Amino acid sequence: MNHYEMPLVLFTVLCQSAIGLVAVNAFRQVSGPDMEPRRIRLEWLAAGLVLITGLIASVFHLGHPSGMVRALNNLGTAWLSREALTVGIFLALLAAGLLLMREKSNPVLAVTTAAAGLLVILSMGMTYSPPSFPAINNVLPFVFFCLTALLLGSSAGQLFANENSRPMMTRILTATLIVALVIYLIVPCIWLSGGEIMKLTAEQWLASPLYWGRIIIGLALPLVLIKALGKTPAWLWGLLLAGELMGRALFFAGTVHTAVNMGGVY
Amino acid sequence: MKKQLGFFVDSDRCVGCMTCAMACKNQYHQEKGVVWRRVYPLKEEIYPHKERAFYSLACNHCEHPACMHVCPVKAYYKRETDGVVVHEQEKCIGCGNCIRSCPYGAPVYNPVLKKAEKCSFCHQRLDANRLPMCVMSCPVDAIQVIDITRLDSTGLVQFAPGFPKQPALNPSVRFRLPRLPEVVRRKTI
Repeated sequence: MNHYEMPLVLFTVLCQSAIGLVAVNAFRQVSGPDMEPRRIRLEWLAAGLVLITGLIASVFHLGHPSGMVRALNNLGTAWLSREALTVGIFLALLAAGLLLMREKSNPVLAVTTAAAGLLVILSMGMTYSPPSFPAINNVLPFVFFCLTALLLGSSAGQLFANENSRPMMTRILTATLIVALVIYLIVPCIWLSGGEIMKLTAEQWLASPLYWGRIIIGLALPLVLIKALGKTPAWLWGLLLAGELMGRALFFAGTVHTAVNMGGVY
Repeated sequence: MKKQLGFFVDSDRCVGCMTCAMACKNQYHQEKGVVWRRVYPLKEEIYPHKERAFYSLACNHCEHPACMHVCPVKAYYKRETDGVVVHEQEKCIGCGNCIRSCPYGAPVYNPVLKKAEKCSFCHQRLDANRLPMCVMSCPVDAIQVIDITRLDSTGLVQFAPGFPKQPALNPSVRFRLPRLPEVVRRKTI
């Protein structure tokens, strides 16, 4: 197993959580039933705090945090530089939203900020899909990150949404949970029929308690609870967050690098 | 195409003595656990014999290096004169992106400096018309410096079994594959 990369686990999950909150909020603003500025600002404030916590966590990943600003130097080819830029743009739009949505909602700004969030996820997806990890050298990181954003955004958003929009958010969450459950169960099975490194990755994932913890605690159990209760309880967000953290730790620690099998079959 | 230096790894000659790896270590005195050149034994599924065969590998100084493309602070550059990929450690912020991205595991983390580092092809020695230490030290001439652009590649392979195939990166390395030992049996009368 590789390192768990906890700073990166926290950074990616929290950042995607903030993007999910804004995206689901933007959807509510566009669809109409939830237009109360105070709730919107509260939700954006929460998204901002979550994002800043994630950014602080990301600093601990660097050997030399003082050089953090220079991470923007290679926008031409490095997706990590683009990730840093898009996160900065998203944060700036988030701050603008907090300033501009004092009196009334602003669906245009909300959609623009959500679109910037999608660019952040795209940059992250490209950053974490290098050729050295054949199992994830594809669209999967982007898909995983989008699912994290939707799961955490639609569950945490329940804390801020009014009564009218909660059933809609529960439907979004339920649909995302089903899609995520199918994807996370199928993907390792597909890897098993791939090349040697993909197969090793599948074996690592399937043998890891983090994988099954993520499936049961983070996906299956929330689905059962929503079905049983007929709504999304506020505390469910904590369960989903725990599942996402486990899943992301596995993503970094359990995905096999090509160099581990040098001299063997690929 | 401009000059592109690379390593010729003659696995047919290599005896796995690790002198190349030791010479590298002796030249640069890397921190404990930090290794730029490794000698990998071929697994039996590739080389099915009790005699072992080896690949001596370090940075492959790729034509399109993943490390250089993903580095957010431009700590890597490719020399115009010979295509050697150089890591400027003073620019490195220790994000580890190059370490994660190189399919050959060439960049490694220096836990003391908290920065990445990798094989430099001994470019300072090259500039002084000297060979890299690994090449110079090999007792059986199993590693040599080659110019990929002027190489007669007859009998050589770029993506040998047991070496990740990454054509997009175009690693500047060529292998001669190990021959299986000839089995001599007494004829039955």
